[in-house]
Amino acid sequence: MKSAPFIVYQPKSLHDAVQLSAKHGEEAKIIAGGQTLVPMLAMRIATPAILIDINEVHELHSIVENDKLIEVGSAVTQSRLEDYLSNTNAHPLLSKMMPWIAHRPIRNRGTVGGSIAHADPSAELVLALSILKGWVILANSRQQRKVSAQEFFLGALQTDRQMDEILVKVVFPKLDKNAQFGFVEYGYRHGDFAVVSVAMMKTNQDWTFAYGGINDTPQVFTEQLASSQDAIAYVSHLANTVDVREDPTASSDLRRHLMQGQSELLIRQIESGKE
Amino acid sequence: MSQLPLSKKISIEVNVNGQTRSADCEYRTTLGDFLRHELGLTGTHYGCEHGVCGACTIHVDGEPVRSCLMFAYQANGKSIKTVEGLSIEEKLNDLQTAFKKHHALQCGFCTPGFLMTSTKFLIDNPNPTEKEVREAISGNICRCTGYKGIVEAILEVAKNRNSEGTSAC
Repeated sequence: MKSAPFIVYQPKSLHDAVQLSAKHGEEAKIIAGGQTLVPMLAMRIATPAILIDINEVHELHSIVENDKLIEVGSAVTQSRLEDYLSNTNAHPLLSKMMPWIAHRPIRNRGTVGGSIAHADPSAELVLALSILKGWVILANSRQQRKVSAQEFFLGALQTDRQMDEILVKVVFPKLDKNAQFGFVEYGYRHGDFAVVSVAMMKTNQDWTFAYGGINDTPQVFTEQLASSQDAIAYVSHLANTVDVREDPTASSDLRRHLMQGQSELLIRQIESGKE
Repeated sequence: MSQLPLSKKISIEVNVNGQTRSADCEYRTTLGDFLRHELGLTGTHYGCEHGVCGACTIHVDGEPVRSCLMFAYQANGKSIKTVEGLSIEEKLNDLQTAFKKHHALQCGFCTPGFLMTSTKFLIDNPNPTEKEVREAISGNICRCTGYKGIVEAILEVAKNRNSEGTSAC
């Protein structure tokens, strides 16, 4: 298992990086943490002639926060964001989800932008960006553009990023001040891909449930519900009616069962005041 | 399809276990292969070669990473610690000794990864619970021991270091 030969460019600025992607977009792959790309190269699922390594692009390493949102540079490692969130308490829901991404040695290299650009249907950051109605900033050699999570994630491992574009920032809106929230994930081992993951937010009577792993992109549902009983009836309805995929790791029946059970668990946690 | 570029050698210099080492390799050479084949440091083992088994875990600038999921060129100029760097004056350190005492290895193939993962874990969390230990090593796979001895060894080292008031690294 060794990669096919390639050459590497290591731009130091975003300007140089987008020039390289404009020139080599079709034959190049962008590498940041490489925690998904390196295995794909090793198994020769991907055989690019060129890698554009964005780890030394200084503009992509910032974490900027205001009272409404957190802007994370695409080359920020997952463990750096994890530590930032646990030190600042800036985003308790996102903070709760971070440790579920693989294992710490993977998060030490894996980047926030890499996970979003890869768009795995069961990825925690993809689910987080979807439920929070966040967005990304993409750049090519001519312009930057903003794309909402909903428009960015087109399918399993498919996004709206064009061949000449580089993901610059991932923007996570903060929770409402009086929001309650929860997150739970079921996988076969800690750190494995989620079979089903559920994130939930509740502000007054507005409940939002987002499910990862059940389809090609995270599925987000918002509803006004008067009580926990109504919420339980609602998630039961969702679990029975929404499209749920089936694959060798889990039947759609198991996924439906987990959707309902995990959602109920989160509703009960909120009811009892535990988050 | 465009033609693949010819292999091009690049020159890499790293600090490994306190020594400056340099060698040439290709861009596609992973850090673990570089350590084993170019520098002769065969303590780091490759199991799955795609980040799942944890056997190849080493420290880069103090943080545990999978050496199979990083290219050598990405470590240029960085500081690396491998399992060969754990012993003190050619004697096993306290963690290695505890692994031996508690039968925390049988075939030993996964052991370098477990040692490097738990070395950093005990620095970050010097007084862990059993559950925290199990979670910390959940990214490392061992097919011999059933993990019991590994958990016992790590917990014993934490306890001994706390009672001695020292923190070896």
